Amino acid sequence: MKHLRHSVLAALVLLGGCATFPPPEAPPPEPSARENSAVVALMQNAREEVGAGRLAAAAANIERALRIEPRNATLWHELARINLHQGQPARAAQFAAKSNALAGEDLALRAANWRLIGQARTQEGDHAGAEAAFAEAAALDRRR
Amino acid sequence: MPRRRHKRPLLRYLLLAGVLGIAALAAYVVHLDITIREQFEGKRWALPARVYASPLELYPGLKLSPAQLAEELTALDYRYGPSTETGHYLRGDSWVEVGVRPFVFWDGPQPAVRLRVTFAGGRVQALENAATGEPLPLARLDPLPIGGIYPAQNEDRVLVKLEQVPEALVDALIAMEDRNFYRHHGIDPRGIARALLANLRAGDAVQGGSTLTQQLVKNFYLSAERTLRRKAVEAIMAVLLDAHYEKDEILEAYVNEIYLGQDGNRAIHGFGLAAQFYFERPLERLSLPEAALLVALVKGPSYYDPRRHPQRALERRNLVHAELLEQNEITSAAYLRAKSAPLGVAPRAPIGTTPYPAFLSLVHRQLRRDYSDTDLRSEGLRIFTTLDPRVQRAAEAALSARLAALERQRRLPENGLEGAVIVTASDSGEVLALVGGRQPRYEGFNRALDARRQIGSLIKPALYLTALSRPEDYTLVTRLDDGPLSWSEPGVEWTPQNYDKQFHGEVPLAEALAKSYNVAAARLGLHLGLPAVIETASRLGIERPLPEYGSTLLGTVALSPFEVAQMYQTLASGGFRTPLRAIREVLTPEGVPLKRYPLSLSQVVDPAAAFLTTTALQQAVREGTGSSLRAWLPPELNVAGKTGTTDDLRDSWFAGFTGDKLAVVWVGRDDNKPTGLTGASGALTVWGRLMASLDPAPLDPPVPESIEFVRIDPQTGLRAGSGCDNAVEVPFARGSAPSEQAPCSREAPVKSWFRRLFE
Repeated sequence: MKHLRHSVLAALVLLGGCATFPPPEAPPPEPSARENSAVVALMQNAREEVGAGRLAAAAANIERALRIEPRNATLWHELARINLHQGQPARAAQFAAKSNALAGEDLALRAANWRLIGQARTQEGDHAGAEAAFAEAAALDRRR
Repeated sequence: MPRRRHKRPLLRYLLLAGVLGIAALAAYVVHLDITIREQFEGKRWALPARVYASPLELYPGLKLSPAQLAEELTALDYRYGPSTETGHYLRGDSWVEVGVRPFVFWDGPQPAVRLRVTFAGGRVQALENAATGEPLPLARLDPLPIGGIYPAQNEDRVLVKLEQVPEALVDALIAMEDRNFYRHHGIDPRGIARALLANLRAGDAVQGGSTLTQQLVKNFYLSAERTLRRKAVEAIMAVLLDAHYEKDEILEAYVNEIYLGQDGNRAIHGFGLAAQFYFERPLERLSLPEAALLVALVKGPSYYDPRRHPQRALERRNLVHAELLEQNEITSAAYLRAKSAPLGVAPRAPIGTTPYPAFLSLVHRQLRRDYSDTDLRSEGLRIFTTLDPRVQRAAEAALSARLAALERQRRLPENGLEGAVIVTASDSGEVLALVGGRQPRYEGFNRALDARRQIGSLIKPALYLTALSRPEDYTLVTRLDDGPLSWSEPGVEWTPQNYDKQFHGEVPLAEALAKSYNVAAARLGLHLGLPAVIETASRLGIERPLPEYGSTLLGTVALSPFEVAQMYQTLASGGFRTPLRAIREVLTPEGVPLKRYPLSLSQVVDPAAAFLTTTALQQAVREGTGSSLRAWLPPELNVAGKTGTTDDLRDSWFAGFTGDKLAVVWVGRDDNKPTGLTGASGALTVWGRLMASLDPAPLDPPVPESIEFVRIDPQTGLRAGSGCDNAVEVPFARGSAPSEQAPCSREAPVKSWFRRLFE
């Protein structure tokens, strides 16, 4: 509820909007990765696999965690990062977008997603698109 | 001299004849050799792909009761009991302790572990290694084997490797049929003598003199012919086979080849299939008396048929036990236990080699994109799939129970209705369950994949999504005209009707979708333009090209339940299209990863438009055509869903999603005759019963940043002020909410007059 109100209010301020009504009750945010020991363990596995250069295995661990918490924005972000390492910028950008759709009030995560999208676009040679993505990230950082 | 001369040619002829005879015999033996080796090689290397369901993951916080876990363990052939061996479990009020079997997963081997699971409040509270007391963050059970992909000429086999065969079975087989198997050269004269003696003593044929090798040869020819010549040929072939191959290779072929029963015109060959045919369980998991029964059958599968002649079968089985005891292969305690065990044969033979033929055929189709049929059927690949056995069981139960109930309540002919169900995970697109008909064990017409039926109003979300993607023109409160409409396109005069044969005048867009008004939808579609709507449908994932006719707007297009699920999947995951997947990983027989089928998605729909469409679909369940769902599910689940009904009530559809699962149900008749069912009175009830048994997560779609909530007066669809009592919060794409104040607002007269100046 808080994050929704915050983002709505923030958006209204940005738009210089006029008076409105409080938004409806939103559910409490999904428990974050830190709260589910299984998800924490799988993320840890994934990081170790990345460290060992086994990216496919790392992705498999994240997917296993996503079956437990399909709406965990951090997991989608991790999957995006692994895909970027794997040289799959298009896929990586889509996962980052999915993470953004679920990130809610987590401005830091959203900024990280936009930076990742920027990197993905750079890899794909879309420099104007990359600039735009980095600008989004910077704007989110300013709001933090 | 002349005599001697005379004699010589005779001798020469005889010699020549002898040489020719030997040469002919040699040639014949070479011919036999080639024949038998071809037969043997042909069978030996065909190792089918083995297919597994998704493993059950256990972790603290998982919604699961001890009873549910016990049910899962039973399905996996774990046995209740105090044994601390793997494959056994114990259970208390709030705990389960289980010896989890070792298993080689995609990410490496998982060793056997004694796992203690404690429960609290309907959830798993903690996991620990019962041997060490070490807490575990998560654990998974070995996955359920759900079948194989078999060589075409051998469809109906469950081929096994020798390591999979229980030791007791091999011991019993050798004890009963061929004691000298590991010592003889294909034939066993001593065995024949002993058998002869035993039979004379018993006055009956209690033992056969054929070695396992000879029996195998006989089975290759599938001939009951019992001439002396045939016996001789078999003996020669047995010797040849023994010369060419290792004993274990011969034994493995035997185990997969031997004839063990008859089911109508279907012959049961091999112990793998027999284990399933008689006990409905994999060969690896057979107990001693079960293995002994299968060995007992070798001698005469029809004479000792345990279903028709249980007493005979029991006696012969216990003879096998006695033989094992005599040869010190089992202890006398084990003998006594085994002897008193019931036959344990499943009452009715299962129909095929897999309990889930519909899902397996989806797996096969998806695999065929990447593998040749020969590889699939011979390389012994291990395929890990997305099937969730719990969801599958619930889907099968819901379909068969509801169809039977509908026929009863509505006095419809028995077994006239058919149906199909598909369930997927909303965000990943993994196929959790697939039911191809009301007899799910029967590998017949797979309606979930292959029945293409008109989808009726299920098309409408594509239409409304197109409209809501143009927030400057359409919002959830935009008034649509549901007045009479007629329209002509080449060859057709077209006057759409509503289901209630009424016209409803001006209706808000969300209500038009929720109540599924056809006339308003058709008019909206014509305004938007057919190409735009068809474009949206294809973005959502309908790959089949849709015809550019007005009737497409009312769902005369025919799609399979699978195709419909793909379309709704995109909405369920917030506008991200994800190909529906049945496979996760493929491994070689040695457990080396071969290929992953990774998750992939692409954002194909504006998130705001997807969110708004979902909101309208939630309204459809709350107060529209899907409102009878409340008989099955609590309203707090906020389900989004759509009914579909076609002309003359031929097809009954329901497609919908919760926070974690999407399901599509079709109900109709195979002959396409009317059923008398609407989407709500037929398919919806299957959907409701299914979801009720799955305890799904409530649907709370994340609110995109581009969405704002505005209070609206439902009477007028205008902005509500402080004086409006019945105002409701409505989501809008930012900036698209009406600016005009409703008359009920206190501030209305001034403000709206003021605003109008600027508009």
